[in-house]
Amino acid sequence: MTQSEQTATGGRAAALTPASRKAIDLWVAKYPREQRQSAVLSALTIAQEQNGGWLTTELMDAVADYLGMPRVSVYEVASFYSMLDTRPVGRHKVSICNNISCMLCGGDEIIRYVERKLGIRLGDTTPDGRITLKVEEECLAACAGAPMMTVDGHYHEHLTPEKVDAILDALE
Amino acid sequence: MSAKPEIHDDQVTVEIDGVAYRARKGEMIIRVADAAGVVIPRFCYHPKLPVAANCRMCLVEVERAPKPLPACATPVTDGMKVFTRSPRAIAAQKAVMEFLLINHPLDCPICDQGGECELQDLSLGFGSSVSRFAEKKRVVADHDLGPLIATDMTRCIHCTRCIRFLEVIAGQKELGGIGRGEHMRIDTYVERAIGSEMSGNVIDVCPVGALTSKPFRFTARAWELREYAAVAPHDSMGSHIALHTRGGRVMRVVPREEESINEVWISDRDRYSYQGLYAADRLTAPMVRRGDRLEPVEWDVALEAVADGLRRAVTEGGPDAIGVLVSPTATLEELYLLNRLVRGLGSSNIDHRLRQTDFRNQEQAPAFPSLGLPIEALERVDAALLVGSNVRHEQPIAAHRLRKAALAGAKVLFVNPLDFEFHFPVAERIVADPAGMVRAVAGIAKALGAGGAGDTPAARDFLKEIRPAPAERAIAQALREGERASVLLGALAAAHPDYSLLRALAMRIAAAAGATFGELPEAANSAGAWIAGAVPHRDAGAVPVLPAGRDARAMIESPPQALVLFNVEPEFDCHDAAAARRAAHASAFTVVMGSYGSEAAREYADVLLPVAAFAETSGTFVNAEGRWQGFRGAATPPGEARPGWKVLRVLGNLLGLPGFDYADSAQVCDELRAKAGGLTAEWRGEPGDIDIVESARVTGLFRIGEAPIYRTDPLVRRASALQKTELARDAVCRIAPKEAARLGLADAARVEVMQGEAHAVLPLVVDERVPEGCAWIPAATPGSAALGPSIGPVSLRVAP
Amino acid sequence: MRTLRNYVKSLFLWELFMGLRVTGRYLFARKVTLMYPEEKTPQSPRFRGLHALRRYPNGEERCIACKLCEAVCPALAITIESEPRADGTRRTTRYDIDLFKCIFCGFCEESCPVDSIVETRIYEYHYENRGEQIIHKEQLLANGDRYEAQLAADRAQEARYR
Repeated sequence: MTQSEQTATGGRAAALTPASRKAIDLWVAKYPREQRQSAVLSALTIAQEQNGGWLTTELMDAVADYLGMPRVSVYEVASFYSMLDTRPVGRHKVSICNNISCMLCGGDEIIRYVERKLGIRLGDTTPDGRITLKVEEECLAACAGAPMMTVDGHYHEHLTPEKVDAILDALE
Repeated sequence: MSAKPEIHDDQVTVEIDGVAYRARKGEMIIRVADAAGVVIPRFCYHPKLPVAANCRMCLVEVERAPKPLPACATPVTDGMKVFTRSPRAIAAQKAVMEFLLINHPLDCPICDQGGECELQDLSLGFGSSVSRFAEKKRVVADHDLGPLIATDMTRCIHCTRCIRFLEVIAGQKELGGIGRGEHMRIDTYVERAIGSEMSGNVIDVCPVGALTSKPFRFTARAWELREYAAVAPHDSMGSHIALHTRGGRVMRVVPREEESINEVWISDRDRYSYQGLYAADRLTAPMVRRGDRLEPVEWDVALEAVADGLRRAVTEGGPDAIGVLVSPTATLEELYLLNRLVRGLGSSNIDHRLRQTDFRNQEQAPAFPSLGLPIEALERVDAALLVGSNVRHEQPIAAHRLRKAALAGAKVLFVNPLDFEFHFPVAERIVADPAGMVRAVAGIAKALGAGGAGDTPAARDFLKEIRPAPAERAIAQALREGERASVLLGALAAAHPDYSLLRALAMRIAAAAGATFGELPEAANSAGAWIAGAVPHRDAGAVPVLPAGRDARAMIESPPQALVLFNVEPEFDCHDAAAARRAAHASAFTVVMGSYGSEAAREYADVLLPVAAFAETSGTFVNAEGRWQGFRGAATPPGEARPGWKVLRVLGNLLGLPGFDYADSAQVCDELRAKAGGLTAEWRGEPGDIDIVESARVTGLFRIGEAPIYRTDPLVRRASALQKTELARDAVCRIAPKEAARLGLADAARVEVMQGEAHAVLPLVVDERVPEGCAWIPAATPGSAALGPSIGPVSLRVAP
Repeated sequence: MRTLRNYVKSLFLWELFMGLRVTGRYLFARKVTLMYPEEKTPQSPRFRGLHALRRYPNGEERCIACKLCEAVCPALAITIESEPRADGTRRTTRYDIDLFKCIFCGFCEESCPVDSIVETRIYEYHYENRGEQIIHKEQLLANGDRYEAQLAADRAQEARYR
């Protein structure tokens, strides 16, 4: 805690680009001064964007040092949220809901279908680096449109294999 | 219990299982229950750690609450009715236990925690004998947390006590809960060892066998260990520890609770140093030099040889021809008997201040070095100035108390020769070379008004020229404003070439700021050594001796004809390693009384006497508060080794000295207590008559060398697991970037370090923490054992 | 009357014939005496004789040094020392049983969580020197290897009662 206080804005924070730091500063400004760490989630999202969709250990350390918090605390946050990736990802992130409503409406079959179609398992990336299937995606709050998935944050509902084919084939 | 007049406003009455108790408002149910002796099962709750309430084992029924509530996170309110054993509470606890056991492996037979496991104990009461869980249990990969802590993470129940301990107590959050849901694991994320000097405590807080002691791993079971109360033998806090022995062998060390000293924690040094007892070079038989060889002999032969040698030295060279250097980790009894032996032979050449160089004004020193306040009070100071101290490594328990104070808002201030890292916020720090340290301390004294009309002429003269810098003024102000302020001198102040000056100035600072003055005595019995008279200028009980004998430095610089080393390894334990080793060789008759016969000792010793080490002898330590703490022997000394006080008693008899007929060590202690029992730390000379003269300034590079945390005494130097940690790295030479550029060493990987004739080749590291004009080269390490003064002039050049 | 009856009984050697009747019955009854050592009594699968340490079929020793047998032994006949083996598993470095102390109660066998320490059906053994009654880990493992077939069969047979 104090160790990181001393190294605030020092240490590895240089791994963040000036643009990222500026964006993080906007978030930091929204919280009380002594609670810089409140901005960690936004900061990690920004750092992830900077790196093409996933967080390296260096980037997480950079965020920790920039916000003056223990590095492990940043790893905790980054490994907790499914929208933060700590391993290399493809160009598109596909998350298929496997929670109860989608499961009852055939989400499982959609997952199996996509796995077969892309030849990869949940959590993997296609060899050409096009698509990453996110692992264990819980409810995305679109139960009315079950089964559903998100592609790069965009919602696609009432999925059928044909619809999935069309959406995934359209991805670069 | 209703309306008694002494009930205060902040007190409420709660009923637990039908019995009414009074409690402080806002106190958690579990605390009230614990105080009342009502047992509530728990895993994540620990009285010394913040409440997490994530194990849910302590669910209890509360009247009018819709659901069972966690007792550890539910504050009591007036009239609250709590039921810990109601059918509803029991059902909730049993349900939680069933969930906890779902993923817990059934490997108690190979688990080191088996027999002392909180989960095992509670599952006996709350667990079902048959599991309804038929699916696969989860498996978590282990990770390497370094040489001290073994992991079996599959056993983890995610109570997060270890995370909270490292974050809140050790001040280094190195473990975290990585992942989510079923995938959550306690991990460092990046594979690395836990570097805290208090890391071993995670073993004690872990309620299951996920974190266990690596050196102890698989060697004994809880039920075959015998527990002996003891006192930690390294730093001067006197932490209460328990030695667990099996078959006369110490198997492990665990803390004993002592709220006024170590609470429930101990440092890793105290926990793991027992391994040094079983080092390969333990002395098991007395040995006498015959020609070129040391030959094992019987005790009576060896003791006769020692008595003859000492007698011969006295007849040939007079009483001044003998000298004794004794380790400040020796027991009070050993120190006292050595003192009596030396003085009985007419000499006063005995000293334990092996790392000290400045002995001026030692007559004015307090009766014994002490904190000046209770250890417990350290956490309640508002301001503390530490001069020359890496307190975190010197006295981890004191550092923990200071951390508590600092987190509560106290200003901790430092004047140090190196910019050490601390695990608490430092309000102000001055990092300067030794001469700069004196100037800084003088500046603080000046800013507080010392050197005024009331001071001695010498002090007025010295302080006249001093102009306090802003940082010094800030420190002075913090001390003045602090209601409970303290000035403390650390080990690097004691080893400072101008120690007497620092002490004189620090005492003035304390007096002017209304602060307490104290020192952080280096070793477990530094205070006891003064009390027992193991200093050349005072006999037991702080009775002045005139003329004073030779101090440690004088004995090393001009070795006496007969030199006795009691548990001292000159090449590691002394200020000037090279000179000390030379002295051991140069003296015509060198007696090594100690637990170890290192190769170096076998070269210079004429007689080697195996003495029982810590844990093998009874004795007494006096801690930094001046508290006398006795302990009994717990383990069997190896081979022919005997407790030091017995060896000295026989030696005293052989030398024909009167009054060496002690029946046990308690009798020795009682005799000393009669002489010195009333001695308090407050006894000290007049601060006014301290003569302030600065020693010659050194031009050129200055070496700063502290004894690293795991190199302080012979026992810990042989603790194999501790020696594998990051903190026990061999010596490197560190200099400031500017200094490296100035000396043309910026690209050098290795440098030749020269101190007079002494020299060594060490790796070079450029480090911003070192002030300019200094080279940081630790003492007491194999790499620096050939070097000269640990704080003194040095020169560097690129290694050929 | 009684006197008369006793007189008649002694006259006709009544007691002798009564005794000879028992002799006669056993003369033709099934013989129970065994000609040890040529003949031996049948043994229960629960027989508690000489100790052995068993191995798993892949040759790995079963004992995990949990020391429960040492703790439960009422005669303090078992001495165990343990440490992590090179592969990190918990193993004994010493497993001694003093057969003079042992009372063959079978508690060790009962307490063993991995069926490692067992008592074989062997009861014929002797020592030639003092000290040989303390049998070591190697001997115990050798016993186990030698009688494994019988041990496994006995334990399989008893499995349903455990």
